[in-house]
Amino acid sequence: MSVGGMVLAQTRAAIVVALRTPRTLVFTIAFPLVFLVLFNSIFVHGGESVTLPTGLKLSAQSYFTAGIVAYSVALSTFTTLAVTVTTQRERGQLKRLRGTPMPAWTFIVAQVLRATVQALMMTLLLVGIGMLAYGVEFPGASFFGFLVYAALGTGVLCTLGIALTPFTPTVDAASTIAPFSVVMLAFISGVWIPIDQLPHWLEQVGRVFPLFHLSIGLQSTLSPEASGTGLEAGNVAVLLVWAALGAWVAGRRFRWEPLAGVD
Amino acid sequence: MSEAAISVSGLRKSYGEHEAVAGIDFEVGVGEVFGFLGPNGAGKTTTIEILEGYRERSDGEVAVLGVDPGQPTREWRARVGLVLQECELDPLLTVREAVALFATFYPAPRPVDATVDLVGLAEKRDERIGSLSGGQKRRVDVAIGLIGDPDLIFLDEPTTGFDPTARREAWTMIEGLKELGKTVFLTTHYMDEAEHLADRVAILREGRIVAEGPMSELGASLGRHTVIGFRLNGGSRTCGRASRRRSTSTAASCGSRPSGRRPTCTACSTSPSGAARRSRTSRCGGRASRTSSST
Repeated sequence: MSVGGMVLAQTRAAIVVALRTPRTLVFTIAFPLVFLVLFNSIFVHGGESVTLPTGLKLSAQSYFTAGIVAYSVALSTFTTLAVTVTTQRERGQLKRLRGTPMPAWTFIVAQVLRATVQALMMTLLLVGIGMLAYGVEFPGASFFGFLVYAALGTGVLCTLGIALTPFTPTVDAASTIAPFSVVMLAFISGVWIPIDQLPHWLEQVGRVFPLFHLSIGLQSTLSPEASGTGLEAGNVAVLLVWAALGAWVAGRRFRWEPLAGVD
Repeated sequence: MSEAAISVSGLRKSYGEHEAVAGIDFEVGVGEVFGFLGPNGAGKTTTIEILEGYRERSDGEVAVLGVDPGQPTREWRARVGLVLQECELDPLLTVREAVALFATFYPAPRPVDATVDLVGLAEKRDERIGSLSGGQKRRVDVAIGLIGDPDLIFLDEPTTGFDPTARREAWTMIEGLKELGKTVFLTTHYMDEAEHLADRVAILREGRIVAEGPMSELGASLGRHTVIGFRLNGGSRTCGRASRRRSTSTAASCGSRPSGRRPTCTACSTSPSGAARRSRTSRCGGRASRTSSST
């Protein structure tokens, strides 16, 4: 079979497995939906707005919707990849795959495609709910900017999820470190807490990480004051740097054989 | 193509100071079932992983189907089938889904359903792998090892952890591979398994081959006092990973293995103290100890 066929077959299998995993359904699909409703119900009483670090203002509802899209992309890509790839490596599945004529990269591409499909579905679902229930609007050409950020974020966080696996020797490690780091970063990236309420130093810490730039980027595009697509070079640049860093680490350190039980 | 499916000469593998494989030579002919026998820690898995292309060797010449497995190519991979010892398939896929997935990796795969039938899983075809017994899971491994229609198939301890019925069923299946004309390289620490299946065996101990030839002739070459004892110290059937390969030095001890899950071979020795070993094995051996002696 062609390499395209191998990629498709593996992507399909990865989607089938994800749909049969209750953890995926609860943590990466139900959680963001519940958070979207909770945040908009608890913290928004009508008319509030949030000011981004660039000075752009947007409604609190748009702000939370975009932030939770960023969180959801992180769960669908970074967390699920770190956990599933570590699981497959520790079970010996990756070693088994390496013993076939299949080119190794087709496995990675298939995993990334599975994560991308999930991230895209979740983004559309969350944005759809935001538009219907919370008055989210895309001013001007900002929908394009929003999609570019979502796609960039998906790429960066997929790369980082795979880059994390050499450092997670067990499935327990992966399924603790990955979701925990996403939750921690969400606090300082303007996902849970409006960025204008964070102390300055915490905001500066948040700025180091990609989730901040994904979240703030998505939020910027929803501001009625944003110009054009709402894309900002600074956010895009930081995301690209993290993608390059992740690809470098993954390329150097990725392991196909179980880390436990190696001679 | 050369006549031998596998030819090995002067093969060595060291891990730091420890020499896991200390210079071995053997050949496996095309269409032969070759048994590679020895206790845990003897170097069986290290050797088979070098032949499979997973591990680099420290020294020696190796050719598998005429190719150096240290430089595996996709074409070569397509001709070699693997049944690994430490491998779990995705428990959430069905038998058919898993076998069909691997079929897409090969240029000329066998038919999926026929291969599932061949390993005796026709009725379990649409069951998820996670719901199968240990023996049935191992058959899925074998189906996947066969799906590319290889010329040579490696079976690394294919029946470890099986109950007697499952073992006999697995033997029937492996005999079926021989009828398909495949060359089979089988590692095992069960004497009777090698006796039943293999045309020829090599017995490995502490990284060296201590005997080689057809099973029927081995007793004579080893002398009257050969004792090969085996102990099962766990009843688990899973093919989950264990850390057994780490600690080769404990292979001959009575203590439990780090994992405690796998059957262990306590001694594989040409020493004359057969009686002493026998009694030690039964004293500290676990639930099922078995000692056989060939004269």
